[in-house]
Amino acid sequence: MSELRAATLGYAVLAATAVAYLVVYTTNLGHLPTPFDYLSLLNTSLPLVFVAIGQSLVVLTGGIDLSVGGMVGLGVAIVAAGSTGGAAVTAGWMLAAVAAGALCGAVNGLIVAKGRIAPILTTLATLSVYSGLALKVLPVPGGKISPAVRSVLTDPDVPTGLIWLGAAVAGWLVLRRTRFGMRVYAVGSDETAARAVGVPTARVKVGVYSLSGLCSGLAAVFYVSTTTSGDPNAGDPFILTSIAAVVVGGIAFAGGRGSALGAVAGAFALTLVIDVLFFAGIDPLYQSLFQGLFLVVAVLLGSLSTLVRWRRS
Amino acid sequence: MTEANSEVRAEANSEVRAGANSEVRAEVHTEAHAVLAEGVDRSFGGVRALRDASFAARPGEIHALAGENGAGKSTMIKVLCGLVKPDRGTVVVKGRLATAFQELSLLPDLTIAENLLLRDPPRGRLGLVSRRRLVPAAKTVLETHGIDDLDPRTVTRDLSVAHRQVVELVRVLATRPEVLILDEPTAALQEQQVAWLAAHMRRLREEGCCVVFTSHRWREIEALADRVTVFRNGTHVTTRERLAEAEAVTLMSGRTLEATYPPLTPPQDAVALRARVGEVELKIRRGEILGIGGLAGQGQRELFLRLFTGRQNVTVGGVESTIRKPKDAIRAGIGIAYVPEDRKAEGLLLPMSVRDNLALATLERRSVAGFVRRAAERAAVRDIMDRLAVRAASSRHPVGTLSGGNQQKVLMGRWLLSGAEVLLLFDVTRGVDAATKHDFYALVAGLAAQGRAVLLYSSETEEIAHLCHRVLVMREGRVAAELDGPVGDAELIVAAAVREREHV
Amino acid sequence: MRAAVKSLVDGPHRRVLYAFAAAATILLTGAVIHPGFGSWTSLRTMLVLASFIGFVGAGQMLVVLVGGIDLSMPWVLNGAAIVLTTSSLGQSGRLPLAIVLALGTGAAVGLCNGLGVAWLGVPAVVMTLGMNGVLQGLSLGLSKGLTCGSCASYAPEPLRRLVVGRIFGVPSELLLWAGVALFVTVLLTLTTFGRRVYAVGNNPRAAFLAGVGVRPVTVALYVLSGVFAALAGITLVAYGGQPSLGLGDPYLFESIAAVVVGGVSILGGRGHYAGVVAGSVTLVAIVTLLQAERVPEYGRDVIYGLVILAILFTYGRERADD
Repeated sequence: MSELRAATLGYAVLAATAVAYLVVYTTNLGHLPTPFDYLSLLNTSLPLVFVAIGQSLVVLTGGIDLSVGGMVGLGVAIVAAGSTGGAAVTAGWMLAAVAAGALCGAVNGLIVAKGRIAPILTTLATLSVYSGLALKVLPVPGGKISPAVRSVLTDPDVPTGLIWLGAAVAGWLVLRRTRFGMRVYAVGSDETAARAVGVPTARVKVGVYSLSGLCSGLAAVFYVSTTTSGDPNAGDPFILTSIAAVVVGGIAFAGGRGSALGAVAGAFALTLVIDVLFFAGIDPLYQSLFQGLFLVVAVLLGSLSTLVRWRRS
Repeated sequence: MTEANSEVRAEANSEVRAGANSEVRAEVHTEAHAVLAEGVDRSFGGVRALRDASFAARPGEIHALAGENGAGKSTMIKVLCGLVKPDRGTVVVKGRLATAFQELSLLPDLTIAENLLLRDPPRGRLGLVSRRRLVPAAKTVLETHGIDDLDPRTVTRDLSVAHRQVVELVRVLATRPEVLILDEPTAALQEQQVAWLAAHMRRLREEGCCVVFTSHRWREIEALADRVTVFRNGTHVTTRERLAEAEAVTLMSGRTLEATYPPLTPPQDAVALRARVGEVELKIRRGEILGIGGLAGQGQRELFLRLFTGRQNVTVGGVESTIRKPKDAIRAGIGIAYVPEDRKAEGLLLPMSVRDNLALATLERRSVAGFVRRAAERAAVRDIMDRLAVRAASSRHPVGTLSGGNQQKVLMGRWLLSGAEVLLLFDVTRGVDAATKHDFYALVAGLAAQGRAVLLYSSETEEIAHLCHRVLVMREGRVAAELDGPVGDAELIVAAAVREREHV
Repeated sequence: MRAAVKSLVDGPHRRVLYAFAAAATILLTGAVIHPGFGSWTSLRTMLVLASFIGFVGAGQMLVVLVGGIDLSMPWVLNGAAIVLTTSSLGQSGRLPLAIVLALGTGAAVGLCNGLGVAWLGVPAVVMTLGMNGVLQGLSLGLSKGLTCGSCASYAPEPLRRLVVGRIFGVPSELLLWAGVALFVTVLLTLTTFGRRVYAVGNNPRAAFLAGVGVRPVTVALYVLSGVFAALAGITLVAYGGQPSLGLGDPYLFESIAAVVVGGVSILGGRGHYAGVVAGSVTLVAIVTLLQAERVPEYGRDVIYGLVILAILFTYGRERADD
């Protein structure tokens, strides 16, 4: 299955939201969005893009990771609490945040694979643990980030964010073409069969949960860089939005089918929706209403399209 | 399936013995054997699947492993390939091992190409998997094994069961095994594909490979096997070069079965069920057993499911009704019941009690305002368990703890409890051992003699030939021929199934 | 006697027994290390707090029994609480209507969830997560971010008395919980509906082929789940007086945790409400103990998560497949 076809739903939804964005923006402001608008969109989307890629990997194996909220929160706390010094110190703490994410993810993976506890329960329990750790590291919101670091990651004026987006997409494409990538799909497709043909299912699971943690760590880094401060609860919204991005991106919840690129498209679409609402003059309090509707409608579209394809064949 | 995992492969190559008391045994015999298992015990949750079982096969032979269901064949195969660790005993496998299991182990969301090359995909630059070379490489693999009608880009979920089995076998064959173990490889295959597989098994034998296989079809065992080993009750009974079917049945079941099929009572005149299902005109009389024959996949399953689950007008016992869901069928006229082939997936609720399983379809008949009348239920359940001689410790035990034959009885009992007069039995004897089958034939004939109408499909044409008053042979969703029964000779049904339509 | 004990330990009720053992262990630990923890006053407070979890746990358990999950709990609860105060305006006369409206809100959301899951085939996680967002948006938007800015936004007095008051020395809230427990247990064990629920949870295909209306059963369970979430919202408002925004947030985690700690299989088909009662008490006891020990908030989160993991390791594991 080509990457393109696997992610069709995500692209379609993204295209539709982009059109809505352009229409609402131009009718409101009388001109097309400026490069600055695009850049700010890109920068605000990046954290979700990373979490969504991690969530995709987990969902592709038939699991789910609710602890992304805690892992992003922990990462944000580490970066914000540590970034009081210069650029080098900040960079060091950023690496630490990413490493912490990967470690947390590995713990999830071990519990799921070796402990045989359902992913949803495992990550629900570790969500509590990781959120607690985030509170310990950064008891109150705060912190500041050095402009030097910011200009490398998410410069508000120069599209450095594009490089990182490119890196994320390239990372996925490379991963998809490794043996590990094939095994991810094998495990999600039929775990028992995968084990029988010699796929080390436990190792694959530990791998995807670790990667999900790593992605959450990266998301935390970009989150602090864009918002320039830290909040230990910053990760909470990512639980819903990352699952939404994955679903909108057309990844089957049962595992085995879909592409993280779809989830990337879904992540952008979800960020765009918020801007569409803003320019349409809808009270931001209604934001989650539309995100919820968006989620349900997208999944309905997805099942409808498979139904149509199935009927035709 | 193939080479369970890398550790197992390492074991296989280096002659490592599994099990607790493995110290000095078997050194002497291993020379001549490619596969050797001795004194193997293995229990699953208190049930002993293997007891002091042994098995040996040489390089350069095709060795059949025969036995009834539950005789321990599958467990022995899993022990041989390292998927199941024995509680006790020694296992030695010499050479590169490949196994094809009964439950297909293809990954449904992956393409044929990905499935074939999952272990060792073609690499491109930077050692990454080359998507471009994946398809041609898979095509080559398929073609070298004589398969040219499959597109490697097809997702395996979309393949027919037979084609999936073929892909599965190709993958196993492509590993160039020195020991090849096939568990029921032909169950899903068509005639021609069986011949294809047989050719490959013979080729491997000539190349010195040790081929072990299991089959329910004695004809295949006779045609292919150099030696046959019979298992019964989890242990080795005998290994022979020649074994006649009659003797094999005796050895496998531990008793002789003479008249396998019961005599049939002539049907009554009253029509029990009348329906037009797609292209098929159905009329079953009370007391009649109507067989549905034909090659596999000619619309038989659809016919049964339409009658029970969906969008179908029927006249049952003179009452017209429309069936949209099973509940409608259960309530229609004199009642319809459907017993599926796969009792674990579609019939029983294994963790639930015998009582719950028996009562499920008729709960509201023994209820007041939505509450179950427990005394009435107990009485009804006890009555039906007595009538069918269900052997269970109590009606409160999970049905999953019962033997296969008793599970089958519980499923039949559910529908007897519903009082259904029309029974749809779809391949109910699949994977059931000979003794249980025998009981089942008697049960069906008895139910018909009491005036019930039975629609019967079986993948074993023999059953249709002997157990039915009348047979409709289906081809491509239509009735290709109608034969009066008992037909007696299964060949007649097969001939009708493959013959071109005489009048168009 | 020994056979009876054996059947309890090995039989289908084994996990319920574990759940009670877990609750007893935590309570005893508390009583030993913290004087006053085991007193009737302390126990009564814990039981009242546990009852709210017990309500959401009842709803969550019903959908988990058929292999589903209800992630819309937090904002159904919160939404029902807001509906109650805004429609009653603090007046006793409007209370019956307000209660009906609040429960109706829960039932309506449950109906949407059920229809989406059973008829449209939307995965339960997605459907209920989406509905949670919808409810959150509606609650925030319609209340303009305040809880009923124009009205007194207090629960009517009779309701407060009902929940906070006592009957023969027993908090009436606990009697309500006992009623819920009785209702759920009777529904699941004595009715034809209950039998069908377990059948669907064990094997939907087989249940369907035995004539069970799998979709109606599923929808009914989601509706009940919504109603129980709303009930928790109503009683919480009555208990606290005011429906704050975010009132329901902790209850998603709590409801799922109570269900699994109560020995209900997350895969469906197995579990009893008695276990969920024990699970609810366990959760509250853990938190109370940590608070009594003056563990800081972060430590509470961490220990809470770890204890739940430990309980899952003891009896919440899936079967090994070989």
